[in-house]
Amino acid sequence: MMPHTHVPLSVRLRHGFSYLLLLSAVVLAGGCASLSGNTQDRVLAARNRVAPALVHIRPVKEVFVSGKRTEVLTVGSGFIISADGYIVTNEHVAGESSEVWCILSDNTEHEARVVGVDPYTDVAVLKIEADRPFPYVRWGDSDAIEAGQMVLAMGSPHGLARSVSLGIISVRDRYLENASGMSSPYNNWIQTDAAINPGNSGGPLVNLKGDVVGINARMLSGAENLGFAIPANIARQVVTQIIDHGSVRRSALGLVFQEMTSKTDDPSARGVVIADVAPLSASYEAGVRPGDILIRLGNRPMHARHEEELPAVRKAVADLPVGEPVTLVLERGGEEMSFSVVTEEESAYKGRNAEFSEWGFTLVELTPDLARRAQLPGHTGVLVSGCLPGGLAASSGLTPGDIILKLDDTPVASLSDFMNLYKSVQENRKALTMLFVQKGALTRFVLIDQTNSKSSILDKEVLDHVD
Amino acid sequence: MSIKSFLPFALCLSVLLFSGSGFSFEQEMLQRAYDTISPALCVLTFTQETTDPRSGEQIRQNGFAVALNVSAEGLLLTNGHLQRDNVQSFNFRVTFRIDGKEQSYPAVLLKKPDDLNVSLLRLQSETPLTLPYVRFSTDAGLSLGEPVAILGIMGETLDFNRAIQEDRIISVLDAPRSTYCLGGQLKMGFVTGPVINRRGQVVGITGFDLAVAEGGEFFSRSGVPLVYQASLFEKHIASPPDQTQESVEAEEAWLGVFTQPLKEEFARYWNIPEAGGLIVSTVIPDSPAAAVGIVPGDIIRAFDGHPIRAIHDRDVLAFTQMVKEKAPGSEVEITLLRNGEELALTATLGHRPRAAQDADEYEDEHLGMVVREITRDLRILLNLGEEVQGVIVRRVVSGSAAQAARIQPGLIIMSMNSATIRDLDDYKEAAQFFKQDKPDEITLFVRAGAQTGFLRLRPRW
Repeated sequence: MMPHTHVPLSVRLRHGFSYLLLLSAVVLAGGCASLSGNTQDRVLAARNRVAPALVHIRPVKEVFVSGKRTEVLTVGSGFIISADGYIVTNEHVAGESSEVWCILSDNTEHEARVVGVDPYTDVAVLKIEADRPFPYVRWGDSDAIEAGQMVLAMGSPHGLARSVSLGIISVRDRYLENASGMSSPYNNWIQTDAAINPGNSGGPLVNLKGDVVGINARMLSGAENLGFAIPANIARQVVTQIIDHGSVRRSALGLVFQEMTSKTDDPSARGVVIADVAPLSASYEAGVRPGDILIRLGNRPMHARHEEELPAVRKAVADLPVGEPVTLVLERGGEEMSFSVVTEEESAYKGRNAEFSEWGFTLVELTPDLARRAQLPGHTGVLVSGCLPGGLAASSGLTPGDIILKLDDTPVASLSDFMNLYKSVQENRKALTMLFVQKGALTRFVLIDQTNSKSSILDKEVLDHVD
Repeated sequence: MSIKSFLPFALCLSVLLFSGSGFSFEQEMLQRAYDTISPALCVLTFTQETTDPRSGEQIRQNGFAVALNVSAEGLLLTNGHLQRDNVQSFNFRVTFRIDGKEQSYPAVLLKKPDDLNVSLLRLQSETPLTLPYVRFSTDAGLSLGEPVAILGIMGETLDFNRAIQEDRIISVLDAPRSTYCLGGQLKMGFVTGPVINRRGQVVGITGFDLAVAEGGEFFSRSGVPLVYQASLFEKHIASPPDQTQESVEAEEAWLGVFTQPLKEEFARYWNIPEAGGLIVSTVIPDSPAAAVGIVPGDIIRAFDGHPIRAIHDRDVLAFTQMVKEKAPGSEVEITLLRNGEELALTATLGHRPRAAQDADEYEDEHLGMVVREITRDLRILLNLGEEVQGVIVRRVVSGSAAQAARIQPGLIIMSMNSATIRDLDDYKEAAQFFKQDKPDEITLFVRAGAQTGFLRLRPRW
């Protein structure tokens, strides 16, 4: 199978205009003679309806590269959804940013507050303030769309604000496998051939009524006119929860599902295959095993014959109340069995990052998924995400991918554990610190000798003696 | 012009003339070396099948290399790159050129020495042979800057003519073993070429170590041409290894720890008065070390009566060698430092587990894939817990049922229909059963990375 490369659409501003030269070489042939007058009017009307609420977004994003925290200016798109100034965009546009600037259709610039983000669906909500009502879009029903229907993609491709492109819905429910963590597990995607480029991220996909049916978020790199949008109906639920609670809370059962065709061609077979059960999860403890077929979740029948039906099953699990028992009705060896399992809260999609400048390295919190890959029992430890070349961490032999299990003799359970321990090392100007780290199946000791980092200590001493 | 101004010039000249014999070879000497040694230089032709470790795609091609005969009955040294993890070489033929006449013999590859990137071949002949061969001087070392001559064979277009080139030793490494680095480029036909010093002694052969990317476990200094001095392979000539095909059970001992040297600052951290020793960094589960209760952080200070005072990273290799050379099953005393206290333990060494490159494989022609056992080193490399049992897919035949089912190299097969697959024997048994039963499809329970799932496969019977 061809590997998917789902590229997020935000783009760094400094690359934004380099392609302009290319553009001049493109000759627009034929104009739009194929559109009847009526269709032309509808395209115009739809564009005009949404354009006032279209937002050009310039976030200052925090990125952790080569053991250092840096800030980069990027560009994305968004749209206003209420008169009081709520804006919807992608999580990958507005998440992990220190500032988010919004430029509206009237060219006014507003610094926005990030109300909340949901990396699982790649949705973010921003808020801007003003003493007048903002123009806003109307949501459409994404379940009512059809393949072949005309749509407009609006936003800031490569930083070019107020751009509109026209196309059709190519497929209304494209299943994208979760390659490199770029795909939402809880929804299928709207595939469109309307031109979508980096920078279109977070912009609206609009039907000819001028309603927003999706949020443009992905494109297939190396392909042409293969863009993907988050369906409006999924996005709306997420937006509502973010506005009400600041985040989205989901349930988890520790189960990985697979379509029924992975085990049988029999069209009458109902249910969904359980492919994997996370060790230590409540489901595992209750006795659920890979190969079981889930046929009912509480009272709801579950079924996924093809992979396109899997997101709905995952969403049904996610929508269960957290921390409450649910009955799983499974089929095993032709017999029905019931298991009562208490749902757990779905863990964070990605871990927090932190920079430790004296040692010249960055850490990221371990998610359960990363911990499982590392064969760690429980979720203890923190992952080294980068080491600054020439820094103390790098020269002491710490490498990206190491998981720190202990500092001196104290186990490191979380990023905040490590931050506290590190703080006291710095405050006490401790010369030697021992880290016990794991990489793959191997563990080893890494000794950080702060007496070597003369420059930073010297600077401090000089400062200490300034009266 | 006074005569004085000529003087320094004359001096220079005379120095040059003297050094002529000191820093390079005389033509007469080179001719003599060429005449005596080149009859032992042979052209080795073979067929090689290389497997792309990712795609499983196999490419077959014919190749040639230089082989050097070291015994009258026909024992040859050649480039160790013939025997790599993803390479299979066969159809060996060795051609001698003696007095302008060519004589050609089939040959078999012997088991590769595990301490040197050199392969050995034995000639096959029904009649006893008396062939020209090279005698090495095992006591002659080389020194920095010393010139050497190397014999080699030129390419097919130059009729495989024998040739000689001069080079110089640019570096002498003393650890982890004596190695000499050559300054020049080594042309294709000069790898495994005999290396001659100014006294006309054959002191070794040229070669390259394997890089990690090539599946090498040798001391990795690939890229720089080396001289393997004769003392390194003397023992392999005196008692040649068995044939590769009869894979012999490794008789090396094993403790089951990974270690790092107790450097000065580590000793300072732990308040150990004297640096030197091996810090246990990892203990392999179910190993002799685990059985005797060794834990990470223990510091090995003596092994079987020998004090361990490792300071450098390379000292770890010497310890590995020390353990290997013990007899499996033997009891050894290990002195440890644990939390500053000295502790003596008696460990019973085990058999060193088989490496992935020696792992048993099974080619399933009906499903179109090759699977192999999960060896200890693969378990460590892939970070697989003890609970993961099965066989690992090594190759997938292009266009096969296995490829159609999206099976990829690296996938671990844990069950087939109702049969649990714990090891290669289980797989063979299941494959045997399917061959008779001929099911329309087989459902596999597999593991890819940290996640499990199901695959359906439609065999072509």
